[in-house]
Amino acid sequence: MAQTPTILQFSGHQYLRHRLVLSILSGKPVRIDKIRSDDKNPGLRDYEVSLLRLLERVTNGTIIEISVTGTAILLKPGIIAGGSVVHDCPLSRSVGYFLEPIVMLAPFAKKPLQLTLRGITTDDNDLSVDIIRTVTLPHMQLFGVSEGLELRIKKRGSPPQGGGEVQFLCPIVRQVKTINFVDPGKVKRIRGISHAVRVNPQFSNRMIEASRSVLNRYIPDIYLYSDVYKGEDSGKSPGYALTLLSESTTGAMHCAEAISQPGVPPEDIALQASRALLTEIKRGGCIDRQHQVLVLLMMVLGSEDVGRCRLGEPTTRTIQFLRDVKETFGTAFKIAPADPSDQNTPDLLFSCYGVGYINANRSLA
Amino acid sequence: ESSRSRRRKDWTKLIYNSSASPESILGVDGSGDTSSSGVPRMDDDDFFTVKSSAPVKAEEDLDRTKEPVNADELKQWEDEELLDSIRHLFITGTPSQ
Repeated sequence: MAQTPTILQFSGHQYLRHRLVLSILSGKPVRIDKIRSDDKNPGLRDYEVSLLRLLERVTNGTIIEISVTGTAILLKPGIIAGGSVVHDCPLSRSVGYFLEPIVMLAPFAKKPLQLTLRGITTDDNDLSVDIIRTVTLPHMQLFGVSEGLELRIKKRGSPPQGGGEVQFLCPIVRQVKTINFVDPGKVKRIRGISHAVRVNPQFSNRMIEASRSVLNRYIPDIYLYSDVYKGEDSGKSPGYALTLLSESTTGAMHCAEAISQPGVPPEDIALQASRALLTEIKRGGCIDRQHQVLVLLMMVLGSEDVGRCRLGEPTTRTIQFLRDVKETFGTAFKIAPADPSDQNTPDLLFSCYGVGYINANRSLA
Repeated sequence: ESSRSRRRKDWTKLIYNSSASPESILGVDGSGDTSSSGVPRMDDDDFFTVKSSAPVKAEEDLDRTKEPVNADELKQWEDEELLDSIRHLFITGTPSQ
């Protein structure tokens, strides 16, 4: 505490993105060491270096030092600048990898961000552009980031060659709203996007049909959209995927997705996505598991008031994030059973006192 | 799985007042092999010992947002009873069983 009161210290290659985000938002420098130091191939990967470059361009005055071996980095954050940025993502990760942290930062920029990202648009590791467009962005709207918030999928790009392009437009806000989201409601409709590029376009319809066979038993309000991209706009590699999301009477969303694998028929991919959605719905909460971190971060940044949100069981990422956020902003959540009388629900009520984060970068027009 | 619903975890304590890894809190840290790696055994009389603190995995532990597909978990959904058990979460279901 006495020696380095303001430098955040972390170790390992995991959780890199939220740690960089916390550093930039808090203005505290961050040092991350032991990045794959025991690995056969030590140090940062190409996509992590690419992420650092992207953060450098979205901000102004950020200083990044990478050790000779690449196993340690020091980032001294500048201000979040926003504006127009174009970035080519390496083919080792999808554009979702890069968009997830950007979504957390962009509302607090000096100028609205218009970010063009090129690369793979859907893969198994990170949120696909479809999930970001239909699930992540609505989660941001809960906090008052809405007007002009948009993700345009201009071209799709399947792994391994990619060739996709998306444009992310984000407005700036002065401060995010405090939420009180404690009623998960009941699922009232299911939506989905089925896409197929450089393969038989029928695959998309086959996925839709197979998915309906599972989901139709619950509710009639199911609309699965077959999203067709042709020619240049369909990227360089063949692939298809089904993205599903459910929406409840109170606006709670859950999502799931499955993407094509060699030798697996589209029907099986659709079943995988549908069952994953049911698993997700069964896990409960008002917030999709993959969006817990985003929502909790916005709650921390909220106005100086108590924000409350009901979540299912936290993920490993969420647990680490909660610890890191305490380190950064000093904010700890109160976590209590959401319904103490009901022993069956694992749901938890997360509440915290917002730090009252004000976007000081915002230019007053 | 069953023990989770029986006894509640004290999440605040587990998260903020322990140094357990997120994986161990959730009970998902692999096959439970806790053999202390990195400690050289006495019968290792080779001059060089292989440092085995890094888990030998074919694929590295990616920093990823989506959780890997759990085929077993998805297979459970072939069961009609399980399918019916979540009906109350939909507007068409009866108001909580």
